[in-house]
Amino acid sequence: MNLEILLGIAFGGAFLTYLLGKISSKLRNGFAVLNALALVVVTTFFYGHNIEKLIQFSFLDLPFILRMNMVSWFFAITIVGIGLLSILYSLKYMENEKNLNYYYFTILFINASMLGTVICGDLVSFFIFWEIMSWSTYLLISYKGGDKALFAGMKYIIMAIIGSMAMLLGIISLYVSFGTLEISSLAIQIQSASQNYILFILIMFSIAFIIINAFWPFHSWLPDAHAEAVTPFSSILSAVLVRKGMYGLYLFMYMILGLNILNKLKFGFISFNGILCWIGAITIIFAALTALLQNDTKRILAWSTVGQGGYMILGVAFATTFGMAGGTFHILNHCIYIALLFFVAGAIEYRTGGVRDLNSLGGLIKKMPITFTGGIIGICGLIGLPLTNGFVSKWLIYKTLIIENHPFLAFFAFLGTWGTILYGYKFIHNIFLGQLPGKYKDIKEVPFSMQLPIIILSIMVILFGILPGIPLKMINVVDTYLGFKSLNITLGGIASESGILNTINIFMAITVIFIIIWVITKKSGKTVKVDQYDTYAAGAAIPEDKYQYTVNFYNPFYRMVKPYLKDFIDEFYIRVALSIKNLANGIRQIYTGDVGYYVMYIILFLALLIFVQLNWKPW
Amino acid sequence: MVVTILEIILTIFLAGIIGLFFLGLSRKVMARMHWRYGPPITQPLIDIIKLFNQTNISHGVLFNFGIIFSLAGSIVVLLFIPLGKICPLSSSGGLLVILYLMLIGPLGLALSAGEASNPNASIGISRKFLLAMSYEIPLLLILLTVMTHYKTISIVEIVNTQLQTGWSFKYLPLIFSGIAYILILPAILGVRPFEMVQAPQEISSGPLAEYSGKYLALVTIQHAFNVFIGISLFTNLFLGGAENPGYLFLKMLGVFIIILLVNAVFPRFRIEQAIGYLWKLPTLLAFIGLIVVLVT
Repeated sequence: MNLEILLGIAFGGAFLTYLLGKISSKLRNGFAVLNALALVVVTTFFYGHNIEKLIQFSFLDLPFILRMNMVSWFFAITIVGIGLLSILYSLKYMENEKNLNYYYFTILFINASMLGTVICGDLVSFFIFWEIMSWSTYLLISYKGGDKALFAGMKYIIMAIIGSMAMLLGIISLYVSFGTLEISSLAIQIQSASQNYILFILIMFSIAFIIINAFWPFHSWLPDAHAEAVTPFSSILSAVLVRKGMYGLYLFMYMILGLNILNKLKFGFISFNGILCWIGAITIIFAALTALLQNDTKRILAWSTVGQGGYMILGVAFATTFGMAGGTFHILNHCIYIALLFFVAGAIEYRTGGVRDLNSLGGLIKKMPITFTGGIIGICGLIGLPLTNGFVSKWLIYKTLIIENHPFLAFFAFLGTWGTILYGYKFIHNIFLGQLPGKYKDIKEVPFSMQLPIIILSIMVILFGILPGIPLKMINVVDTYLGFKSLNITLGGIASESGILNTINIFMAITVIFIIIWVITKKSGKTVKVDQYDTYAAGAAIPEDKYQYTVNFYNPFYRMVKPYLKDFIDEFYIRVALSIKNLANGIRQIYTGDVGYYVMYIILFLALLIFVQLNWKPW
Repeated sequence: MVVTILEIILTIFLAGIIGLFFLGLSRKVMARMHWRYGPPITQPLIDIIKLFNQTNISHGVLFNFGIIFSLAGSIVVLLFIPLGKICPLSSSGGLLVILYLMLIGPLGLALSAGEASNPNASIGISRKFLLAMSYEIPLLLILLTVMTHYKTISIVEIVNTQLQTGWSFKYLPLIFSGIAYILILPAILGVRPFEMVQAPQEISSGPLAEYSGKYLALVTIQHAFNVFIGISLFTNLFLGGAENPGYLFLKMLGVFIIILLVNAVFPRFRIEQAIGYLWKLPTLLAFIGLIVVLVT
């Protein structure tokens, strides 16, 4: 199997889908799903392969190189997997929207370009694919149109461009210094470079990757982008696109520079990795507390995306075997459950006619049981409850932090988990529990093509939680490729000498105890089922449909922390943007279009020159 | 294998008995302080047996399963905490797993009570989570101090070290954490002044408002286990654990009596006051403890 074929299918499929859409919409939908499926199948074949291929198609005398290794494969499979599920989900979700040809084309195109970034083997094509990705994401964020969507898209693209420019500077500097941009030969040559130069390159690239990863203080584009993007794309954005930043860090920190150089990058007690860790910790805490105060389903999830990124960077930046396994596993886990949660939020939107306000939903568990099951499993994974996948990766990360003697980072990470519980419960409670408002009495479960992605991802969350050995084996291969020691992995977790985790034991214990209690309760006492209005209110009658129990769920806390939790960073960016706009407006006043003014400018300028010459005689 | 299963059964049994005894004892002690005679110590057990035979109401599937899940979660936590020398699941992940498993209890109960669609339940849950969030900050600092000090995440190893060197409470770095732990213990156990979650006179028992019959029995059992877990975790980490369950029980009894005295004399905080209290002195002490451990 050839790598060109993979790229060909990805890009060709996107264009073909657009063309087929001109003929018939059914044909287009079918082809889009087939194309995404083909990508998954083809990508699976590359498992364990290590290919590097030079293609005779040069640009500025720089060759175009494709390469596939375990790291690329790991990211590629998440891209194509989530891509397939989102397109499947889009079929019904997007049914009544306009511009569908454009939508399917862009979504496939983004997938193709993301695939491009992970399987290219030189920095020029990496940059090109990266730019295609950024621009097409902008197109899809602003897809809905309207002021807010355009604003969100603009916020995103400005930040993305700042990142790309930093990266471009790094790339040019690398080319000037080493005369090559092939990743594999750069990895060898850069070993001899000076420490300061490496630091400069690293910072330039990190800016790009941190922005796309939405780490604090560059997080502010993500919540807006999510709130405005269409839901199937939100799940791609949050699950895989944002994590291209993690791929970038892997590529740069571990594939090009390598552990030896990274460990040497220390100035006193401040190291590059240490700074990354603290950025991660701040991101976790800030995002968790902000998410707590949100009242919009997708904004909560967007903030959680920001926060979970912090855990990944905590694991990855420590660069130990445990931490790396935890960080890598967390990327995979996050991708699974956040996609799941966005699909759930989308299902609610689909059935309630676009309602995303948590304060006006409630009681939907009785009407949408499958969506609810998906939601609760996703939230459990997000929290990291034992027996879900999130638990294993977080366990590995905490374990690293404690072994490496960083209790404060561990504290922030744990605290973030408590924040997650609070907003996770709010998400579930406000949508599915509590009283069902009368207007949602006749709501039905979503159609099967929307249930299917939810079901598949839910099963994966649970499966990887009970048998973490399956994904950890693959992650172990990824990490050993990056030069880390191999972990001793069992089917139920980890059995290395510095830490044992056995989820199968926990699973057995909980299941057996659960069944015993269930049987006991089943046998005893009679149960009478009552409806939602038949509740105890200490003698005071609760009027029907008057109360909304979910409004201001954490109000006492909200009152306490609100003054401290302003998004100063976001306000700062907006202020900078505004003042630049004002400045530009001011400058535009000069160009009046009246020739008389221009003549006056010229004369004034000449007068200035003459004045300067007469006074100081510089020429 | 057989030994492990026997140990598991023994742990659950003993913990249940001790927990229910504590519940009964607390009613008796409180009554005596109020110059009443009080119910017999076995009253909670009698109540549970009675409740299992009564008719009960249900609000849906999650209402039933949430509480069962919550109880199962609490019981599994027990298996990770050493009861004397008995600790059936000691080698499955240590203190980090305990921290996470302890989430299942409140979360299961909250999900179950959430489906009841009772406004009091929603208020109670919201308070429960906020309270948990606020005592979790000092608690995490304390646990991290202990883990950093002993350089392990295994609670069995912590207990074993203490058996050789003496209680952690006696040593300088951990004394701050120990005091902080005592200060937040009433909040963890949910007794006065941190009783705002249930607040019977105010929000009619909060999350428990809709439970009746066997489900109320399950909630009571879960409460008994939670009391046991809360106190035994403290005893194991700071008071040296014990070599046999009997000795551990005596230590736990001592701690529980102190908590009861606090419970008897204090009125109820509002939730903001509770957050304010927990984030000041206990957090400061726990923080100092962690700094001291890191420096030494």
